[in-house]
Amino acid sequence: MPNDSTLVANEQIPVEALSDPVWIRIRDLIYQVSGIYQAENKFYLLVSRCNVRMKAVGSRTPREYLDFLTARPNRDSEMRNLLNEITIGETCLFRSMPQIEALRKVVIPALAEVKRTLSYTKLRFWSAGCSTGEESYTLAMLMLEESQTRLKGWTFEIMATDLNERSVAKAQEGVYNDYAVRNVPPEYMKKYFIQTGPNFRVADCVRPFVSFSRLNMLDDSKMLFMRGIDVIFCCNVLIYFDGKSKTRTVNHFYNALLTNGYFFLGQSESLYGITEKFHLVHFPGATAYWKPNEPVSKAGAL
Amino acid sequence: MTMETLDRLRSRITSIDSMPTIPVILRPLLHCMDQPVEQIDIARIVELISYDKSIAAQCVRMANSALFGRDTPVESVRTAVMNLGMWRVRDLLFSNSLSQVIPANRWVVEPAVFWRHSLGVALVCRKFAEILGYQDTEKAYLAGLLHDIGILVNSMIAPDEFRATFEKATREQIALDEAERATLGFTHCDSGRVLGEAWRITPDLIQAIDLHHDIGDPERGGPLVAIVHLSDLLCRLRDLGYGYYEPRQVDFANEPGWLYLVMKFPNLADLDLARFTFTLDEYAKEVGELVSTVFVR
Repeated sequence: MPNDSTLVANEQIPVEALSDPVWIRIRDLIYQVSGIYQAENKFYLLVSRCNVRMKAVGSRTPREYLDFLTARPNRDSEMRNLLNEITIGETCLFRSMPQIEALRKVVIPALAEVKRTLSYTKLRFWSAGCSTGEESYTLAMLMLEESQTRLKGWTFEIMATDLNERSVAKAQEGVYNDYAVRNVPPEYMKKYFIQTGPNFRVADCVRPFVSFSRLNMLDDSKMLFMRGIDVIFCCNVLIYFDGKSKTRTVNHFYNALLTNGYFFLGQSESLYGITEKFHLVHFPGATAYWKPNEPVSKAGAL
Repeated sequence: MTMETLDRLRSRITSIDSMPTIPVILRPLLHCMDQPVEQIDIARIVELISYDKSIAAQCVRMANSALFGRDTPVESVRTAVMNLGMWRVRDLLFSNSLSQVIPANRWVVEPAVFWRHSLGVALVCRKFAEILGYQDTEKAYLAGLLHDIGILVNSMIAPDEFRATFEKATREQIALDEAERATLGFTHCDSGRVLGEAWRITPDLIQAIDLHHDIGDPERGGPLVAIVHLSDLLCRLRDLGYGYYEPRQVDFANEPGWLYLVMKFPNLADLDLARFTFTLDEYAKEVGELVSTVFVR
């Protein structure tokens, strides 16, 4: 779900426009298709995104637009357009603070504790569907901070993959405008960015820790090579896959993760109905999927 | 907690002048609410509200708030009650009468934060009970609302120590009961239980207050305790906690309360917990409205 901060001022939605029960049906449809959940207290976001698409397709009412999503021949492509609209503005550095806090305060300490007992001092991250690299560099910066404090002497690497070659090229460039860096804490800005004109370039000290490459998640033979990962991030990517492809890809993620590893989706994305191998775990304001020692039974599968 | 500490706590609660007393309208209200929804006597509720001018005014104010978007203003208590509906009226009554338990200057936890959490847990308990098919959803709601009543007791009987305890919990980002054990030697669960006994609240509610942090053997407290325990955890993980970050990972599939409920209510195994969690963010708005109505002074 887009951050509140991605809203622009002219997206004011009148209160009465939010109360149409059709929004609930559209919300449920989006959840069913993509696994992205739009809470009712954030309906103004859903409505404003739908309004953009409604204008584009020329539908006058939410009910009519629901038809575009369910009954028209090109309904699948319209759903894709809507999902694109919903996730627009998602790609910024330090996008989800609850996820970042969960990573820093719970996940990394927990992983480090287990790995220490095995005398491993390396953590591997996979930013799957990395788009233009914002998430990947965020992870690298967080880990750089950790390796200067609590994880002295540890090494880490971020593998970042995306299907789109242009995105990968842009990610490698590592240059962002002020909108993309709006959530970056000032101390990170100072340490890890160099201002070049109106833009901000990721500092050289960050770059060696991130490797970008092109990868199609539906390519089984390539996916099989991904192994030994501690944490996977795959935000707002699986939403575009059909049920079968989702299950296949999530199975690859499961196999790529080490036992006790974590799989993060977008902040309001769920794996319900896709797999029962993971445990859904909760952190303050965030959820993730955790790989237990053994696949879980039905009672524990979430 | 040892028996000795419990006895000391009991005598402390019952002996000091400022012992929290049960608010005048709370006992008849508890009685009114402790029956099936269809048998609740609305006339009696209106009468109870009319006893307390500030509560009556709040009902009218809330009925006139933007939440209800009325064209014509509500002026009578009866119309306000009818417009608000039983649940909201009850929420207002409870939070108001329980707030009167301690004087305004004795609150250690911000009243708005306290009620945000208590009402949040109450709503989640009710929703959770509905999903499970637990027969008494209103009892679950009430248990959620009262579960942290011991926090009010602690604010009364040991204000300075409890303030230090709450600060310790906030600073060290640990659970409140853990900080209480370290500094006070007893928890808000213990003091809440003692107050519940003094107020002669029903035993199942007392158990929910007593065991909501440390449920031990889930069979002992039954489904009600497990529901309150899990709802409290969920609220603390979803912006309906005590306003400080508790760095923790909760794996519900390994929570004894969860496993117990799955055994008792097999349909729970099919719950889309991720979605349920996301919907909790929706309660924050409802709770916020209610709390702001109660605490606009």
